[in-house]
Parts: sequence; C-alpha cells; structure tokens
Amino acid sequence: MLYNVHSDIYLDVAMPVEDKSKSLLPFLSSPKLLPDESEAEFQSGLQSLLSELDNPSPLAVALVSQLNECFWWIRRHTADKELLLHEAMARLLSRGGSNWMASGNSALSVALEHYLNGSAQTDQAALIEEALIDANLTLSDLRAKAFKDAARHIKMVDDLIHRQHQTIRHLQRSIDSIDYKSRLIKRMDLELAALESKQSVKGVLSLDDKSS
Amino acid sequence: MTINPHRSLANRSNALKSTGPKSVAGKRASSQNSRKHGLNSAPTFELSNEYQELIDLIAGEGFSAFACADIAVGLLNYRRVMDAYYDTYTSPEPEDEFLRDMNVKASHPIFSELLSPSGSEPQDVREMAAFFADMQRQERRKGGPVSRRSSDTHKLIRYQRHGIARLSRAVRRG
Repeated sequence: MLYNVHSDIYLDVAMPVEDKSKSLLPFLSSPKLLPDESEAEFQSGLQSLLSELDNPSPLAVALVSQLNECFWWIRRHTADKELLLHEAMARLLSRGGSNWMASGNSALSVALEHYLNGSAQTDQAALIEEALIDANLTLSDLRAKAFKDAARHIKMVDDLIHRQHQTIRHLQRSIDSIDYKSRLIKRMDLELAALESKQSVKGVLSLDDKSS
Repeated sequence: MTINPHRSLANRSNALKSTGPKSVAGKRASSQNSRKHGLNSAPTFELSNEYQELIDLIAGEGFSAFACADIAVGLLNYRRVMDAYYDTYTSPEPEDEFLRDMNVKASHPIFSELLSPSGSEPQDVREMAAFFADMQRQERRKGGPVSRRSSDTHKLIRYQRHGIARLSRAVRRG
C-alpha cells in the first residue's frame, strides 16, 4: 500500500526501514544535532525504533521520529548533569583561589575537565593541584561541595528529563491508538468482505432456487 | 583583547543614563528585546506549506478532514515548541565575564571618579558600588553556560507539556 506524502514522496509499508524516515517531510525527520554529536548514532536509534513498528504508517513514523528525539534529549540532559558538577567545581576552585579577578575561570574549567577525564597535561594538572591546595580541599571534598552548590540546577535538569519521559508516554499512547485504529479498520474490512461473500453466496443460492 | 575596567565601568554608568531609543526603527528593534522564544504568540499554521503537506500525509490514513487538521496543527505546534527548545538550549544567555569577575571593592576610586571628577559624596559611591555588587550577585547566581541553558530550557517545560498533550489528544480523538 502506498501513502501519498507529498507530490513526489511516497511511503510504502513494505519499504526498507532505513528509507521510511527519509521519506517523511524534512521538518519532521531531519535531526537538529549539536556539533559534537553523531548523526549516524541518532539515525541508528531511529531505525531500531522504526523496526519495532507493526504498522509503519506515515503518522506513526512521524511520531516515532519525535520519540527518538526525546531519547536524544534525555541523553543530552544526563550529560549536562555531570557538566553542571564540573562547572560548579571549577567555580569553587576559582573562588577558593587567592584572586578571583585574575583566576581565569575558563582556563581553570578546561584544565579541570581534562584533569577529571585523565587527559590533563602536566601544567594543567599542576594548576588544578595548586588550586586544590589553595582552596584547602581534596577532589572528593570539592565534588561534594560542588554537588551542594549545583543542586538547584541539577534539580532543573532532572525536571527536564522527567518532562521527556512524560512526552514519551504521550507519544507511545498516540502510536498505540494509531496501531489500534488501523487494526480495527483491517478487522472491519475483513468482516465486510466476509459479509459480502456471504451475500454473494446467498444470491447465487437464491438464483439456483429460482432456476430450479 | 584585554578589558579596561575603567572604560567598561564608564560605558555601563553612561548606559544607565539612557532614556531609550528615539527613532522609529530603534523603537521597533527594542520592542523585540524581551522576546525570548515567541511561543506566546498565536501561530497561523493553516497558511503554511507544511500544514497542507501534513494534511495530505495524514489523510491517507483514514482520518476525517477535521481530525487531519487537528493532528497537523498539533504536530506543527509540537515541532515549534521543540525547535524553540533546541534554540534556547544551544544559545543560552551569554555570561558577562567582566561583571562576574570584577572586584567591586577595588573599583570604589573609579566609581568616585565617574560620579564626579572633582570629588563626589561617599553616599553616591556606596550606592553605585551596591548597585554593581547586586548585579554581580545576580550574574554569579546564574552560573556558567550549562547552568544557564538548563534554567533557560526549564522555562519551556510548560509549553512542551501543552504541545504534546494537544498532539496526543488530537491523534487519539482522530
């Protein structure tokens, strides 16, 4: 069965899964990614969701694209929680240092990021260790303090993640209702076909009776 | 480029004396200053090409004309919210590094010079310092870029809630 999507775009239910999302309207299917994000990873998530669709109608594919975006947002926000902690740690270190004005917060943030990843150069590691001594803190103390400091923003990110979960629930319900609707239509078609065949058999029988 | 604290403070003090734009173009531009995401304005999806394309897309699935229109509007509205969400997330309010890092106490002589080169009242200087200290507290409270984008996107939660509820309702009713 073919669905007319646009003047020159058609969605075929028998179409390979990879092509279904591409056949949708661009504003529904083209992902908005950040510079460091992989489109291949985004598309592979979408394809795995699409492959689970029983009835890949255009509307279902459009809703699944939105669903995939929600999962992507959850991923971004989860990464943000760790970034918020790092940001608060850098802020505490620069505040604990001898001079706020000349602390060079951005340099300290970059150095801390590398230090926590284990990819810090010697001068960056030295800068962080010096800042920890200045602030009279160990790394775990700093993390605990930073968590307290960033709690308000971490709570906000948790709210954002929760919102995405709620959105996923809405989208799932919508997809289920489309699926149910199409199954209902299919069942009614079958019942109608059965009634029609019954009618035609009855018609043939009554014609036979009349002729005999 | 190094920031000259004296120059920067002078600019900010002069800006406080501004009485706003005078020209029509300036007024038109400044009327959009407080516009954040545009989600409070009523959209007219019915006139867009996307709307008609979506109607064609959904009509093939056996929905009534009314349901098609409802779902198309729901989907476009949800996309509008999510696009604004993405824009807000990717371009948070920029950090004012000068204000964040300035040493208010050490700037007292500059305030004094700015207020009156011939010698100003200590009360005026104290008020100006308090003003900048308050602005600095607010700036620091907003945190870094990740904190800013989190609190900016947090403000869009209610639009997202309404958008998805509207779409879901339209699909299930259809």
